[in-house]
Amino acid sequence: MLTDITLGQYFPGHSFIHRLDPRTKLVCTLIFITSIFLAETYTAYGVLTAFAAATVALSGIPLRMIIKSLRPLWLIIVLTVLIHLATTPGTVIYSLGPLTITQEGAKQALLMSARLVFLIVMSSLLTFTTSPIALTDGIERLLNPFRRFGIPAHELAMMMTIALRFIPTLLEETDRIMKAQMARGADFAQGNLIKRAKSMVPLLVPLFISAFRRADDLAVAMEARCYRGGENRTRMKELRLTLQDGLAFTAILVLTVLLGVLRWNATLS
Amino acid sequence: MYQSKVNFLAKVGLLSAMSTILMFLDMPVPLMPLFLKLDISELPAVIAAFSMGPMAAVLVELIKNLLHIANTQTLGIGECANFLVGVAFLVPAGYVYRRRADYPGAVLALTLGTVSMVFWASVLNYFVLLPVYQAVLHFPLDRIVALGSAANPHITDLKSFITLAIAPFNALKGFVISLCTVLIYRRVLPLLRPE
Repeated sequence: MLTDITLGQYFPGHSFIHRLDPRTKLVCTLIFITSIFLAETYTAYGVLTAFAAATVALSGIPLRMIIKSLRPLWLIIVLTVLIHLATTPGTVIYSLGPLTITQEGAKQALLMSARLVFLIVMSSLLTFTTSPIALTDGIERLLNPFRRFGIPAHELAMMMTIALRFIPTLLEETDRIMKAQMARGADFAQGNLIKRAKSMVPLLVPLFISAFRRADDLAVAMEARCYRGGENRTRMKELRLTLQDGLAFTAILVLTVLLGVLRWNATLS
Repeated sequence: MYQSKVNFLAKVGLLSAMSTILMFLDMPVPLMPLFLKLDISELPAVIAAFSMGPMAAVLVELIKNLLHIANTQTLGIGECANFLVGVAFLVPAGYVYRRRADYPGAVLALTLGTVSMVFWASVLNYFVLLPVYQAVLHFPLDRIVALGSAANPHITDLKSFITLAIAPFNALKGFVISLCTVLIYRRVLPLLRPE
């Protein structure tokens, strides 16, 4: 039950997108998400669709995985379509009783749901093609210039890495403690709020104690290996920007400029 | 207990891991709209606040939400909300407990934390979070309110949505977290007292 939880959704591969530097992917995804908001016309959305389709094709992620990533948000998507379809005033093209569908409503529904789908697809593409550890590394390097403003980039990344490393361990432990307590007659799923909170006590106390003990052991192990923070630390895998990253940045730049021009034209006319 | 910078990193890391796991064990609350879900993932952050100060608690909240963003159901807005509201709960609680580190101090800290959480959750939802949903999706606010009134017919506008859904939800959340903390307090006390 508990062990089914997966964090992120990394799909290993060797495609062009997989091989990009995590920093490039993070920045490009952010630029893409921002540029979605520039698009307002069908042409602009056509450009976005082409770009997104090309990226998905390049990543080699199976289409069914992409569609699966939309599933947790299907309710929001359906609601967006229905609300825009039913409530936007304008030229009526179809009406059934109190329900009227207008031309503007249909356009809004189509474009807004497309906006949502692009947001979800492109951000899940990032987590599909980048492992959580690579992402953490990328975040650390991107935040590094802000160290001087007091943002502890390395420490934050180190804590995220530790959390990622210990999530499976603690999950297994939670599962084991739950089973052990259930074998002794514990009931986690029934009763009112206070009863339920009380039933969590025999689960939470051993978990906290073991988490603190593991943290102490880990700290001793790290200090024994002379860990002393980010300064002058060397890495096994260095991140390097290559020609590919340049290509990716050029592509996203062209897209943004194109969308900007289309937006400019739309406001002029 | 021995405390060093590395020890701090390791503890915050482990507590964040625990917090992330607890966040997946969420459940919808009756009479509340779907996107408000109750979980006890703030509990490790409370323990962090009591044992290492408010800064550690904020870090636990931040890391938990950063890791949860990959599995988001609300485009990350829910994670932002959870982080901000969590901070509103933990920072006052952490400061109060630092002044008075015993059982009555803990109860006072949790009470103040809950009050601050309810206040900030209402303010943030009214002025920032719900308007952001509206801006991103061109989602009319009255429709979000309609989502609420589907669960509770007394909800008719944004103000009643805040007072009848957001505020009670956060009060309930504060109560549950405080209750859990109080229940385990004596047994985890040895972990909370750095010497």
